[in-house]
Amino acid sequence: MTTTFEGLSAGDTIDGPKFSVSRESIRLFCDGSLDYNPLHLDDEYMKGNFGKTNFGGIIMHGMNNFGLITRMLTNWAYPAGAIHRRLEARWLKPVRPGDVIQPSGIIKAKQTTRKSRWVLIDVVVRNHNDEKVAAGEAMVEFPTTARAG
Amino acid sequence: MQAKAASGFEMDFWKDANLRKVWDDIVPGEPRKTLPYLLTKDAIHLYCRSVGEDHPLYFDEAYAKKTSYGGLIAPPSIHILLMFACTPTDDWMRSPGTINAGQSWSYNIPARPGDTITLQARALDKFIKRDRLFVVHDNVFFNHHGQVICSGRGQTIRPM
Repeated sequence: MTTTFEGLSAGDTIDGPKFSVSRESIRLFCDGSLDYNPLHLDDEYMKGNFGKTNFGGIIMHGMNNFGLITRMLTNWAYPAGAIHRRLEARWLKPVRPGDVIQPSGIIKAKQTTRKSRWVLIDVVVRNHNDEKVAAGEAMVEFPTTARAG
Repeated sequence: MQAKAASGFEMDFWKDANLRKVWDDIVPGEPRKTLPYLLTKDAIHLYCRSVGEDHPLYFDEAYAKKTSYGGLIAPPSIHILLMFACTPTDDWMRSPGTINAGQSWSYNIPARPGDTITLQARALDKFIKRDRLFVVHDNVFFNHHGQVICSGRGQTIRPM
């Protein structure tokens, strides 16, 4: 069924695709994002402490979560002629090679303004142990004049 | 490790590390030095692969032309790439050990292949919390027509 602004209700859910994290996926994200911070590349470096934190090995880029949430939101919005307008996210746990992560969203509220219509979505990324690794809020616009997706 | 990507981008983030500002040097409000960047289809596709993006708006020109976008676009999250593409090797975002503590981004219009992207960026604030050194970032990306693509705010924890 086509997603419409009228048809959406608080509590409706959006499921994103599962993503398998590996040393290769992290390396590919380095190349895709040009972020070659040794946090994501250098096991020797990652044996050290970061303040009170020791990660024990390389970790996935936090922004990889951000990219996966975006992919979920745009794939949901485009067919409805809607536009992804905002994403705020913070990282709750490090993600490591071997983890399988999956973003999801839940409609929190709808808002009509003078010139448009907006859907507010709580987003979360969970790992295979059902732990939250990232969380945030998104805003998708449903323009009053429908756009072709 | 190969030190430079095919694009000439410096992959060794230790290089020029001594030239980078540490937390103490960062002046909130002071513009960061940035570089214009030509966003290519290849760069968009490599980024897309790294997060599993496969929507035809990013890959299929004939499809994209028929949509309201009128041609190929980049996914909104392309700013992840643009942040590093538009900053020089001595920028403090590259300091090894920089930890991203969260970001928020607002999207105006999509970036497109062939756009020359510019960045206006600064630290807006810095503070200490629970023994950690934070900086608040303020970033705006523009296309070569001077239109805002997206704007973002973020926090990083700086290496001690």
